[in-house]
Amino acid sequence: MSEGAPIVVLEGVSKGYGEGANRVEVLRDLDLEVHRGELLAVVGPSGVGKSTLLHLMGLLDRPDAGRIILGDRDVSTLDQEARARARNREIGFVFQYHYLLDELNAVDNVALPLRIAGRRTEAARGRARELLERVGLADRGHHFPDQLSGGEQQRVAVARALAMEPPLLLADEPTGNLDRNNAEKLFSLVGELHLLEGLTSVIVTHNEEMAGRCDRVFRLAPVGDESRDV
Amino acid sequence: MRAELHLARRYLIGLGRRTHVATVSAISLLSLALGVLALVVTLSLLDGFQSTIKRGILAQSAHARIEPARGRVLHDPAELVSILHRELPDVGIVEIVQGTCLVRGIGDAVPAHVEGRSDMEAPAIDSVLAARIGAGAGERINVISPRRRLTPMGPVPVHAVVRVNRVAPRQPGVDGGVLLLPLAQAQRLLWGHKVVEALELRTFSDPWRLAGTVRSVLAGHADQLRIKGVRELHHSLLLALSLERIMIFFAVGLMLVIAALNLLCNVAMVAAEKRTDLAVLAGLGLGPRALRRLFVALGLGIGVLGAALGAAGGTLLAVVLDRTKALPLPRGIFIVDAVPFRVDPLMVLTVTGLALALSAVASWLPARLVARRDPAEGLRYE
Repeated sequence: MSEGAPIVVLEGVSKGYGEGANRVEVLRDLDLEVHRGELLAVVGPSGVGKSTLLHLMGLLDRPDAGRIILGDRDVSTLDQEARARARNREIGFVFQYHYLLDELNAVDNVALPLRIAGRRTEAARGRARELLERVGLADRGHHFPDQLSGGEQQRVAVARALAMEPPLLLADEPTGNLDRNNAEKLFSLVGELHLLEGLTSVIVTHNEEMAGRCDRVFRLAPVGDESRDV
Repeated sequence: MRAELHLARRYLIGLGRRTHVATVSAISLLSLALGVLALVVTLSLLDGFQSTIKRGILAQSAHARIEPARGRVLHDPAELVSILHRELPDVGIVEIVQGTCLVRGIGDAVPAHVEGRSDMEAPAIDSVLAARIGAGAGERINVISPRRRLTPMGPVPVHAVVRVNRVAPRQPGVDGGVLLLPLAQAQRLLWGHKVVEALELRTFSDPWRLAGTVRSVLAGHADQLRIKGVRELHHSLLLALSLERIMIFFAVGLMLVIAALNLLCNVAMVAAEKRTDLAVLAGLGLGPRALRRLFVALGLGIGVLGAALGAAGGTLLAVVLDRTKALPLPRGIFIVDAVPFRVDPLMVLTVTGLALALSAVASWLPARLVARRDPAEGLRYE
């Protein structure tokens, strides 16, 4: 995969949790660039801060130190409303667990980011149905999350992440809760959509085989060791 | 419809899928509805009794009273009557003298308020005095005046024997034990000559404003007269009625406060239960203001439904109880034969508005906390 201009840049980012003696430092002085069009896998042992890294890149959390640049602006200092707008328009999330809203059917779950952006109900639902068709769930739109299998739930979550056509897709162990067969199907789907939609994707995974199929693998190391591209 | 309002609606009506949240929401809704219903029914009952008492006051007592500012007697009552007849032809005027006498029937003499009125043609006693002296219509009673006359035996109290023509019901708001006499008879008994101590006025148009009208008509005599309206004449009773209304409103209104606290707990519980959903919604781009609106809408949704149900139920119950006279009262003891209810639309609106305001406050507090929450927290602790 050819390298484009960086879409996300982390400069000297540090992040820890807790106070005083209970403080745990998760990331220290981390630098990372994610290039436009790139499919990047982030790997590393449990508790090393992979999800924290993804939350920071996805503007769900703020760094204690350092800068995060999304596109061409420093997003570390944005207020909550501006960060929410940026998450809605520029970032798609897929989590380890599907995190679909139980009260909404598949169509309404996928339409949610569009509704948050202020799109009209019918237009949003129309786009949601298209996306469900793309992920092979055209006939499951009126089903609620508890009426879908694990693989189907995760595919609905992928469709939801792409609803706003974001340039950046962040996936936190999206196959972690799936069996081997469903995990393979989902990973293939993400790879296929990555190409078709012209996305930049960052996938946190424990699966070395899947990571090997990405354009680049970034191994996150515990604080004190050096994190690096593999 | 905005995403957050759509979600609030789904949380509210789609809760059949999440039974225990649905149950606590239903309990919040029910407690709010019961609070509003109890307040509407109680205040309608109070209004029913109070308006009956006020109607009784207006029907049986003066709407305005003119008394001398100094001394006991009016200096030129005829002139005052003439002015009032000329300026206010629709107002009825009664000349009054009054005092305290001993009244004796078949037993001991008891003190009684004696009132001579120009509209009385024959003596009457009220039911309280009738019971005290054991006398009824057609019987003769002795009335002993505090006034004395000089006789060869020395000063002796003036007294009269009067034949009771009828026994009148006790006037609302007036202590019992009243003897009503024709004016001339009372003047002889109490004063020995023709005097008038007060003028009582009644009108059919607007009793509550009569005193003000009379004050402007008799402005030239303002320094010699004291003019009292219905409010001044029944000050204590009306004040007691107002206080009763306020105290009952606050006491029963506490139910609404408790219902609002219950709603607060419910919204806070939904916020805790939906912690991950809220983090995901924040991840999808729902900002803090929209999250706050979501929870205020949820609480207000429960508030609107509860208040509407309570107001409709309370109004219906009060109207049905009043129309069917479903709660009878013993005759002769109360002035009405069934518990009266009067539904005041303004009161219903006030109670509904109060319930909505309390719901808004109860939803705002947890909504504020939700909006401040760090979105990553909900995902980190999952």
